[in-house]
Amino acid sequence: MSWIIKVFRSSIGKKYIMAASGVCLSFFLLAHLIGNSVSFWGKEAYNSYASHLHSLGFIIYILEILLLLLFLIHIVTGITLFIENLSARPTRYAIQTKERNWSASTMPYSGILILLFLLVHLLNFHFITKTVSTAELVKTTLSNPLIASFYLLSLSGLTLHASHGFWSLFQSLGINHPKYNIFLQRGGRAMAVLIGMTFILIPLLIVTTDSFLQ
Amino acid sequence: MQLDHRIPSGPLTEKWDRFRFETNLINPANKRKFEIIVVGAGLAGASASATLGELGYNVKTFCIQDSPRRGHSIAAQGGINAAKNYQNDGDSIWRLFYDTIKGGDFRAREANVYRLAQISNQIIDQCVAQGVPFAREYGGLLANRSFGGAQVSRTFYARGQTGQQLLLGAYSAMMRQVKAGKVTLHPRSEMMDLVVINGQARGIVTRNLITGAIESHAADAVVLATGGYGNAYYLSTNAMASNVTATWRAYKRGAAFANPCFVQIHPTCIPVHGTYQSKLTLMSESLRNDGRVWVPTRIGDKRPPAEIPEPERDYYLEQKYPSFGNLVPRDVASRNAKEKCDQSKGVGDTGLAVYLDFADAINRLGEAAIRQKYGNLFDMYEKITGQDPVKEPMTIYPAVHYTMGGLWVDYHLMSTVPGLFVLGEANFSDHGANRLGASALMQGLADGYFVLPATISSHFSESAMVPITTSHPAFTEAIDTTKGRIQRLLSINGKRTPDDFHRELGLLLWDHCGMARNEAGLKLALGRLPELKENFWYDLKVTGSGADLNQTLERAGRVADFIEFAEVMILDALSRQESCGCHFREESQTAEHEAKRMDDTYSHVSAWQYQGEGQTPQLHKEPLVFENIQLSQRSYK
Amino acid sequence: MTIIHLTLKIWRQTGPESKGSFKTYESGPITTAMSFLEMLDVLNERLILNGEEPVAFDHDCREGICGMCGSVINGTPHGPEKKTTLCQLHMRHFKDGDTLVIEPFRSRAFKLVKDLIVDRSAFDAIIAEGGYVSVNTGGTPDANAIPIPTFMAEQALDAAECIGCGACVAACPNASAMLFVGAKISHLALLPQGQPERSKRALAMVKKMDELGFGNCGNEKYCEKSCPKGISISNIARLNREFMRAAFCSEE
Ligand SMILES: Cc1cc2nc3c(=O)[nH]c(=O)nc-3n(C[C@H](O)[C@H](O)[C@H](O)COP(=O)(O)OP(=O)(O)OC[C@H]3O[C@@H](n4cnc5c(N)ncnc54)[C@H](O)[C@@H]3O)c2cc1C
Ligand code: HEM
Ligand code: SF4
Ligand code: FES
Repeated sequence: MSWIIKVFRSSIGKKYIMAASGVCLSFFLLAHLIGNSVSFWGKEAYNSYASHLHSLGFIIYILEILLLLLFLIHIVTGITLFIENLSARPTRYAIQTKERNWSASTMPYSGILILLFLLVHLLNFHFITKTVSTAELVKTTLSNPLIASFYLLSLSGLTLHASHGFWSLFQSLGINHPKYNIFLQRGGRAMAVLIGMTFILIPLLIVTTDSFLQ
Repeated sequence: MQLDHRIPSGPLTEKWDRFRFETNLINPANKRKFEIIVVGAGLAGASASATLGELGYNVKTFCIQDSPRRGHSIAAQGGINAAKNYQNDGDSIWRLFYDTIKGGDFRAREANVYRLAQISNQIIDQCVAQGVPFAREYGGLLANRSFGGAQVSRTFYARGQTGQQLLLGAYSAMMRQVKAGKVTLHPRSEMMDLVVINGQARGIVTRNLITGAIESHAADAVVLATGGYGNAYYLSTNAMASNVTATWRAYKRGAAFANPCFVQIHPTCIPVHGTYQSKLTLMSESLRNDGRVWVPTRIGDKRPPAEIPEPERDYYLEQKYPSFGNLVPRDVASRNAKEKCDQSKGVGDTGLAVYLDFADAINRLGEAAIRQKYGNLFDMYEKITGQDPVKEPMTIYPAVHYTMGGLWVDYHLMSTVPGLFVLGEANFSDHGANRLGASALMQGLADGYFVLPATISSHFSESAMVPITTSHPAFTEAIDTTKGRIQRLLSINGKRTPDDFHRELGLLLWDHCGMARNEAGLKLALGRLPELKENFWYDLKVTGSGADLNQTLERAGRVADFIEFAEVMILDALSRQESCGCHFREESQTAEHEAKRMDDTYSHVSAWQYQGEGQTPQLHKEPLVFENIQLSQRSYK
Repeated sequence: MTIIHLTLKIWRQTGPESKGSFKTYESGPITTAMSFLEMLDVLNERLILNGEEPVAFDHDCREGICGMCGSVINGTPHGPEKKTTLCQLHMRHFKDGDTLVIEPFRSRAFKLVKDLIVDRSAFDAIIAEGGYVSVNTGGTPDANAIPIPTFMAEQALDAAECIGCGACVAACPNASAMLFVGAKISHLALLPQGQPERSKRALAMVKKMDELGFGNCGNEKYCEKSCPKGISISNIARLNREFMRAAFCSEE
C-alpha cells in the first residue's frame, strides 16, 4: 500500500490528483450550470428544478459531502503545489518575461478567488434558513450590486482558471496527441468561456433587467 | 628513447585477435584493486570510463566542463564510419582500412588502422544497443550516407548532430557506472601535471576550477583523452576550452609528441568577421555535394555576387579537378581557397572568403528540395551571418578543425611513459597526415570502448605495481610546480590580456604554419616565438586570485602552454620537407602544384622528446612499414 | 556593419554564499555581427585591463550544441530569439541604446557558483538514476537486428536533441525540470532498446528529480518557448503517461 502514498507524494502524482479532482469538479460545474440555466426559462421552471433537487433527499447529502471532499483535495493539493513551487525558486528574477501566459500563471490566485467565492456563495444560498422560494432568494441576493459585482469578478476568475485547467488536466494525465491537441486546447478554452459566460449571465441579467426571474 | 610500437606479429587480419589471445588477463576479482584515472570525458574518455567501470576497475574521470556531457565531441555533425556494408555497395573492412590509410596519405600504421576498421562495426552495434537514434530507412533499417568523397555509403548519422548523440550514449553508459559506484566524476577540474614515479605514470595534479584548490590523485594508470590542440591557432572550430595543456605537461614529463605539425584545415567554415571573433563555425562539408565554389575572375571585384555575370566567375575547383570538382578532399579544397584569396580574388568584407553557391542546385531541384536537405545548416548560417543562402551565395573560408598529431602511442595506446595511455584526438592516432570525414568519432570510440579495455590489463599484469599514495614526494613536487606557475601568472600584472597574446600566437601560426608552409616562413615564425613568450611572461595581466573560479587565469595557463607547444609544431613542420596530406610544403610540389610526398625519406612518424627548459627537443623516427598495400600518389584530376 | 551601444545590467556575485547585486556597464561600441558572448568578451577584456574582475559566464562550444552557455536576458533564458542558445544569439537583434538585464539561471536546484555561472550537476544526478540502457560494452546484437520505424526513430531523436542547458528550469515559473526529464524519458521510451527498463527508469528519475528540489510542472509552457532545441511539451505528457504506467501497472 505504501506505493500509493509514494506515488501521490511525487510531483507527478500530485498533478494526477489535481487533474482527476479537476475533472470531477468540472463535471459538477457542468451539472450546476445546466441546473442554473433553467432560470432562463423563468421563475416557475427554476423553482421546480430546485424542489426536484431537494427531493432527492439523502442522495444530495452524499453528493454534497463528496463535492466537499473533492474541493478539499483539490484545494489542499493545489496549495501544497503552490508552496513547493515558491520554494523551488528562492531568488526571483529582476525582470519578468513579457510573453506571459496569464491564465496559467494565475492558477493559484484564480483558485483562491474561487475559494472565496465558494464561501460567499455557500453563505448566500446554502447556510441560510430559507423563507422564500429559491428564485426569489437568488433574485434578491444578486440584486445587491456589491454581491453582484463580486460574482462577476469571481466568475471571470473561474473562466480564467478553467480556460487553462481544462486543457491542463489532459496534459497532466498524459493525453497529448498531435492530431487532437488543437481540439483539446481550443475546445478547452471555448468550453471555459461558454461555462463562465453562461454563469455570468445570471447576475448580469438580474442587475440589468427587472423581468428576469420575476 | 626507444619507440617500440609493439605491433603483434602475424598476418594483418589476425593481429588484433592474436593480441587479445596472447595478452594476460586480470582475474575479475582483482580488477577492483586497480585505480585508473581518465582525464577527459569526450567520446574517448567517456567510453573508456564506462567500459573500465563495467569491467570492475575503479575509475576517476576528470573534465573541464560542468558536466561530462559537454565534451567537444558533442559538436561533430557529419557522422561516423563503419564497414558494415549494409548498402551492399562493395564496402568491407579491408576497403575502410585502405581508404583510411590512403586518405591519411600513407603516414599511419597499417596494423592500427586495420584494427580500427575491424572494430568499426562493433561500435555501431554498441551505440544502437545504447539507444543512439541513428537515421533510418522507411523499412526500419539503418540509413547511410557517403561522406568526405568516399565511393561507398558507410557513414552512420543522426541528423546534423551525430557527435552529440554518440557522446550522450557514452555519457549515459558512464553515468550508469557512476550510479554503480565504479566511476567517480570530477567535473570542472583541469589537469595541471602528470606524476611519474619510478618511470611509471601514477597520478595527476588538478586544479578545481570552482575553488581553485590544487588537488592530487594517485592511481595505477593514467589515461589521457583530452582532445586536440587546434586552439593553438586561436581561431578554430574547437570549443573554447580545448587545449594542449594536459598532453603538453605529459610531454614535459617524458611522453613523446608525434607529428605535431599535422593539422587539418576544414574548407567549409563561416569566415572571420572581425578581430573580436572568438571561434569559427564549421558548416558540414556535405554542402559541397550541391554547392558550387567560385570567386570573381577579376582581382578586387567588389560587386555583389548577383551582379557578377557567369563568364566573370571562376569555378576554380571544377576547372582544376574535372573528375572530383567541388568534392575534392578537405586539404585540396582549403589550399585552393587560400590561393584565390592570396591572389586578392577573395570576397566579403575581409576578402578572406569564397562563394559556395546553391543557385544552380535550386534551379535544378527546386528550393524545397534544397531546403529539405540543408535546412538546418542554412538556418545555422543565417543565425550567424544574417544572410539567407537561398537568396545569395554562402561565403566560406577554411578553418583549423582537427589535429592528427598528438602524443605518440604504441599498438596498446600506451605512450612512451609506461602506464600513461592516450586515446582519441589526443594521441597521434590512426589518421596519418590527413583525416577522412567521419573517422574521428570512430577512432575515439574504438579506443575507448574496445582497445584500451583490452590493452590496459596487459600493462597491469606485466608491470610491477608498487602501492603509492599522494604523499609521495613526486606529488609534492608536482603540486609545488603547479602552484608556482599559477603564482607567477598572477603576479606579472602587465598590460595585455591572455586572449590578446593568444590572438597574436594564432595569427603567427596561421600565416606561417597553416595551410601552406615554407622554410622561410617557418623559420621566421620560429624566430618570433621566444620574443612572444618573453612578452607573455612580462606583460600578461590576470585579475583576481587563484583561490576561486577565475576564467582569466585558466585561459592564461592554456595560452602559456600553446606558446611553448608552437615551437615543437614549427620544428616538426620544418623537419618534414615533404608535402603529405594536410602538410603542404611549398618546396615539395608537383608540376601541377599538387602535394608531392617523399616516401624514401619521410615514411616515418616524427616523435619529439622533451630535453629540458630552453633545449631543442629531440626528434625520434618510427619507420612506417607497408606490407599489405601499395603506396600511391593521391590524384584528384 | 552597424555599431550599437548598450547599457548592460549584469548580476555580480563573488560566490555561492555571498550577496550579489546588479552592476551597470556601458557596452562600448558593439558591431551587430558579434555574438552575445563576444559582446561579453569585449566587455571582459576592458574590465581586465582596468584591473576589475571580468564577468564569469559559462560557455564552451559556442555553436549551440554543448549546452554550457545560458543566462537570462531581460527575463528570457537564452535571450529573445526563439530556438537559439545564448552563444548563437547575435547582436543584430538588439537596437542602439537598449538596456539589457543579464541574470543567472535561478532555481533552488541550480546553486549559483559565481556571477552568471550556476551548478547544473542536478541534471547529471537525474541521468545517473536511469537515463541509460543497461548494456555493457560488447555482446550487443547486430545494429540492424531490430528494425525501428523511421517516425519513431525521428521522434526519439527530437527528444534526444536536448542539450541539457537548463533553460527550461530557468524559464519555468515553478523551476520544474519536467521538460529535461520528459525529453530523456521519451527518447528511451520510444525505442525498443529502452523497453526493458522503461518502468524502473520513469520511477527512479522522477524520484530523483523530486528529491533535488525542482518545482512541479504547471503546464504553463514557458519551458517549450525558451528551449533552444525546440523540445516539445508532448514529451512532458509522455513522461506523465510513462510514470502512470510505471506507478499503477508495472510491478516495479
Ligand atoms: C565542429 C566539429 C565537427 C566534427 N565533425 C566530425 C564528424 O562529423 N565526424 C568525425 O568523425 N569527427 C568529427 N570531428 C572530430 C571529432 O569530433 C573529434 O576529433 C573527437 O570527437 C574528439 O574526441 P575526444 O574524446 O578525443 O576529445 P574531446 O571530445 O575534445 O574531449 C576532450 C575532453 O577532455 C577534457 N579535457 C581537455 N583538457 C583537459 C585538461 N587539461 N584537464 C581535464 N580535462 C581536460 C575536456 O573537458 C573533454 O571532456 C569534428 C570536430 C569538430 C570540431
Ligand atoms: C475552490 C477553489 C479552487 C482552488 C484554490 C483551486 C486551485 C487550483 C490550483 C492551484 C491549480 C493549479 C495547479 C498547478 O498549477 O499545478 C488548479 C488546477 C485546476 N483546477 Fe482548480 N482550484 C479551485 C477551484 C476549481 C474549480 C471550481 C474547478 C472546476 C472547474 C477547478 C478545476 C481545475 C482544473 C481542471 C485544474 C487543472 C488540473 C491540472 O493542471 O492538471 N478548480 N486549481
Ligand atoms: S529541454 Fe531544452 S531547455 Fe531544457 S535542458 Fe533540454 S535543451 Fe535545454
Ligand atoms: S556555448 Fe555551447 S551551447 Fe552555447
